Amino acid sequence: MARADTLARARTLDRPELAYLLRFPTADGMRDLELTWAELARDTEWVTARLREHGLAAGQRALLTASGFEGFWGHAVIGALRALKVPYGIAEAMGWDHRRTAVFHRELTPHAVIGLSAETLGGLAGAADIGEMFRSTPLVLARPAAVPLLRGVGVTAFVISAVGPALALECPERSGAHVNAAEWRFGERDGQLTVAAGEGRTSPLPETPLGITGRVVVGRCGCGSDNPRVLLAEAN
Amino acid sequence: MVGDRDTADRYFEPQVETMPRQELRARQEKQLLELVEYAYANSAFYRELWDEHGAHPRDIQSIEDFRARIPFITKDMIRAYRSRTGDPFAGLLCVPVEELTSVSSSSGTTGDPEFFAEIWQDAPPLVTAQVRDLWELGLRPGDRVLSPPGTFRNFMDAGFQALGAVVIEVDTWMGNMPEVVEALRTYRPAYLQMMYPQMVELEHLAEKTDLREAFSSLKGASCAGQPLSRKMRERIRDDWGIDVYEYTSAADTGTAWECREHDGFHLWEDTVFAECVEVDEHGWHDVPESDVGELVATDLDNRAAPLIRYRSEDLVRLSRDTCGCGRTHARMWVAGRSGDETVVQGRSVVLRDVWQAVEDQPETVAGVFQIVRDRREVDELRLRVGYDPHLTGDVDALAGRLSEAVRERTGVKPVLDMRTEEDLLKTMTSVAKFPRVVKT
Ligand SMILES: [Zn+2]
Ligand SMILES: [Zn+2]
Repeated sequence: MARADTLARARTLDRPELAYLLRFPTADGMRDLELTWAELARDTEWVTARLREHGLAAGQRALLTASGFEGFWGHAVIGALRALKVPYGIAEAMGWDHRRTAVFHRELTPHAVIGLSAETLGGLAGAADIGEMFRSTPLVLARPAAVPLLRGVGVTAFVISAVGPALALECPERSGAHVNAAEWRFGERDGQLTVAAGEGRTSPLPETPLGITGRVVVGRCGCGSDNPRVLLAEAN
Repeated sequence: MVGDRDTADRYFEPQVETMPRQELRARQEKQLLELVEYAYANSAFYRELWDEHGAHPRDIQSIEDFRARIPFITKDMIRAYRSRTGDPFAGLLCVPVEELTSVSSSSGTTGDPEFFAEIWQDAPPLVTAQVRDLWELGLRPGDRVLSPPGTFRNFMDAGFQALGAVVIEVDTWMGNMPEVVEALRTYRPAYLQMMYPQMVELEHLAEKTDLREAFSSLKGASCAGQPLSRKMRERIRDDWGIDVYEYTSAADTGTAWECREHDGFHLWEDTVFAECVEVDEHGWHDVPESDVGELVATDLDNRAAPLIRYRSEDLVRLSRDTCGCGRTHARMWVAGRSGDETVVQGRSVVLRDVWQAVEDQPETVAGVFQIVRDRREVDELRLRVGYDPHLTGDVDALAGRLSEAVRERTGVKPVLDMRTEEDLLKTMTSVAKFPRVVKT
């Protein structure tokens, strides 16, 4: 097997611990942060548990819409889907690619649509009834700006969002998007979210205002998790 | 300096990349015979088609048998099967859907996209087959790369990371070139993947930005989705100092890249069995190596949904001579797509001639244009051309000059629809392709 041999050879290389240098917007401009393979593995495990809570399981299919620069969380989501044995289709999150989202949605009948954007919905709206299209999809994990659009047409949408360097994912309780407290410390200042890296992260990140309007809810969630939840203004 | 780097460990898998042709052929023969058995046993599409043609795996014992007995397939046949059966994979799938890792698709710029079923471990198939090409370009562990513009055929990151490269997350899609230039200066990446519209956008920045300095950390950049014109290529290489590697589709079985010799696109023949043929109503024959024919491809490394004797509609010249780089795998040169030719009142007009006329005007030097037609034979040559508004004083005067230049090259006076480049590029509905021939 040709590709398998190529990858076997690649595994003999002296590869760095580092997988990504991710960049995210803060209140004071873009900032970057290193992301190691060990951290990606932990992020993947965390996302796997979140998707499992939503009932995602073998025998189902998913559709992921994402952009080329979103690999740092795309990696964790794809890793989770693989762990759950859920094959996924993939399309761009950019508005002009809405046709592929529509075709994947029609042909693969995905159990979960992950990363749906307001731009994709805008593109789809010309040719389809968004409500009719997604009401029958058991799990819709949408980006914050897409959530009100979907809920407005009767789709039970859950939030998925990069919040700074972290991924926030709403649980079935739909009462805010959980962030992984083992990795990140979220806070709020003047109605804006802040983030700091947890002790286990390789790359230090002091408390950083993100310029995202929202609140942090601590205390146990109805789902049983003690992980804090962020309530993003844009999603409400 | 362009192309200046250590060449001592040029091959990623030397044994495979420089394998004598005879061995390569023996390997392909073995792979083909296994493939025929496998596809017949597992794919409803192939079983039905081959039964109709009386082609049975037991009769196929050599490459010659394979070529003599296994029928070609076309995009239309796949579409027809799909609409007849409702199977999104058109009967090509050889495993249950649950065993797939992912499904990517073609761009769907002309009709519904076709699905590509994928099974993989460390990295998706398309980018995995690019690892050798990236190594040849000079990518090494610890190097940095900018994230690619889209997720078109799955995330590419895992392929770069397999080589030990670190991915810097930057939005490299259209409209973000100032940020890309800033990222180049900050992170000094070794590699960047670009598409045609990004090149056009960079061209606009060139006046006020020292691109040569910004690009100076690159070992190379790739460009796909559109053949670069000679002028654009010279600009990128000579003015910006980028060693640019074009690549193209290997008939949907993978990609074919230029090596550092920049003399044709290498196919990886342990992943694809390539034929260059001419098909007519009487049958088909091989074209001589110096002639242009249609690329017909067979997947040799795809257990999910292999394409077998797939007519790509790509018109190529194919050479199996050893390349200057020492690799023995075939190279191809792309002459165009079958069907790209437009017949205007009986007169044949080819893309290349239109392109040349467009590029010869300073305001349209980026070569952003489309032929608008609803069928191959038309009464008038309708051209939509993108101009750079900063360089254009009088659009009518430009149109007059352009019209005359097109007439000189093609013998046909065009009907022009002048747009700004930006307007025209915005109509793209794929990160993979700026279509040169459109219906509306
Ligand atoms: Zn919860
Ligand atoms: Zn070569």
